[in-house]
Parts: sequence; C-alpha cells; structure tokens
Amino acid sequence: MSSKKRIRRMTIVTMLLAMSIVFHMLEPTVPLPVPGVKLGLANILGLIALYMYGPKEMFAINFTRVLIASLLRGIIFGTGFWLSLSGVALSSLIVVLLKKTTPLSPVGLSVASATFHNVGQILAIMVIWSSVMMVYWLPVMIWMSIPTGILTGSLASQVLRRIKKGGTP
Amino acid sequence: MFMNKADKIFIVIVAALSIALYATVRLVVVAQTSNETIAVVTYRDKEVLRIDMSRNANYTVKGTLGDVFIEVKDKRIRVEKETSPYNICSIQGWVQYANVPITCLPNHVVIVIQNATNEFGEDTTVR
Repeated sequence: MSSKKRIRRMTIVTMLLAMSIVFHMLEPTVPLPVPGVKLGLANILGLIALYMYGPKEMFAINFTRVLIASLLRGIIFGTGFWLSLSGVALSSLIVVLLKKTTPLSPVGLSVASATFHNVGQILAIMVIWSSVMMVYWLPVMIWMSIPTGILTGSLASQVLRRIKKGGTP
Repeated sequence: MFMNKADKIFIVIVAALSIALYATVRLVVVAQTSNETIAVVTYRDKEVLRIDMSRNANYTVKGTLGDVFIEVKDKRIRVEKETSPYNICSIQGWVQYANVPITCLPNHVVIVIQNATNEFGEDTTVR
C-alpha cells in the first residue's frame, strides 16, 4: 500500500472513531421506553469500518471508542466501563464471525451486534453482581435489540451505499 | 429497508429465542416466589436493610450518589426516587417476584426479593 493510501486510510479510520465517540457520548440522551436500552448509534461506525477496511479496523474503533468515551465520562475501570467493554468485545467478535460465515447484510449484522452487545453486558453484570437472575432482563433487552439493530443497520447500509457510489476511498 | 432473506430468518430466530427465554425465566421466577417474602437491600455487596414485604412502607438507604427511596406496597417493591444519571432503577418500576433484581448501578444498591420461608428455615437449622 502506498504511503498516500495509508495516510488516507488512517485519516478515515480516525474520523470514524471520532464520530463514534460523539455518538457514544450523545446516545444516553435519546429517550427510549425501556430502561437501560440504547439505540447503538456508535456501532454504525464500527460496522462501516468493517465493510470498508476489515475486522482489525472495526475492533480498533470499537475498543478505542469505549476507552476514550469512558475516560471523558470519568467512568474508566468503573462498572459502566466493564459493561461497555464486555458488550463491545462479544458483539464485535460475533459480527466478524457472522460476516465471514453467513450472507447477512449490514442490517442482519447490526441486529446480531445489538443482541450480543446486550448478552455481553448481562453476562458481565451477572459476574459483577454475582446474580444469575440478571438474566431476567435479557429477553427484554434482546427483543429491543431487533428494532434498534434494524434502524442502525439501515443507516449503516445507506452510508455504505453512498460511499460506494461516491467511490470513496 | 435493506434486508435480505438471511436477515429476516436471523431476526425471526432472535425474536423466537427471546420469547422462549422470557417464558422460561418467567416460569422459574413465578414458581420460586412464595406467599411470604422479604426484600434484601445491599450497598456495595453488604446487606444494609431487610424489608418485610407484607407491610406497606417507605424506606431510605444511602447510595453512592445520594439517598435511594424505596417503597413497598401490596407485596411489591420499587425504587421511588434516587439520584443517578439516567434513573434506570426508578424507571424499572414495581417488582414482585423473588430473585428479580432492582439494580441501581451508579448508587451500588441492589434490591432482591427472597422467600421468607427459606430464610427462617436456614435460621432454624443453625439453632
């Protein structure tokens, strides 16, 4: 890869990361009917990175986003940080596996990402609070991940379509 | 919408699994709940309050970000008011089944209903 291309790639990945941090920070202000459920807008950027460049860039964006957003919020290494990290780790892993092994589109992958993000968070909370019954909230969270996943997946599809049309990068 | 057939199948599977999981957990929870229950309130994993669920009353426990106001009414319990960024545990509302936790993460307060009979049973064994 030429140095010009490398710099372009690095710049775009950094811009995706910056946008994902902004979404991550703003997301909790969007009111949803179920407590604890978020839209997952920040995951759109990770998904775009996966389609544009590959798993390495997606992992880099998702993990760095959680780290920087937690630092900015002042919750680094607190309970919220570990919940975010577990959710992101499991969802990113599953999305990469599903992209390689199934014909799922960004919408399907986004639903999978939202679902396993919730599974990861509930597993972490079960460990942190030593309470198996936290699983009670899992079906509700999974159910909510379907509309939120479809929404974020559709947005990611639109962006990817436009990027492809415009020939970038 | 940009869904293909695989997406639709995947979404149906996820929805079916969540319904099945909900039904199973609900059955277990209802079966585990007896008529006489108590609520155990913990702060940072230490028990700070034990509430008799048969009496309607209000309680206050100290959380990390401020006081957590708890209300018991008709054998149900809820966090009435607390100080936290998103007020998730007060939005959660009433809980009446054993082992279904009310978790106030920023306040490090957890409320869990337990069967009173089990607790007394353990006491009797120790004595």
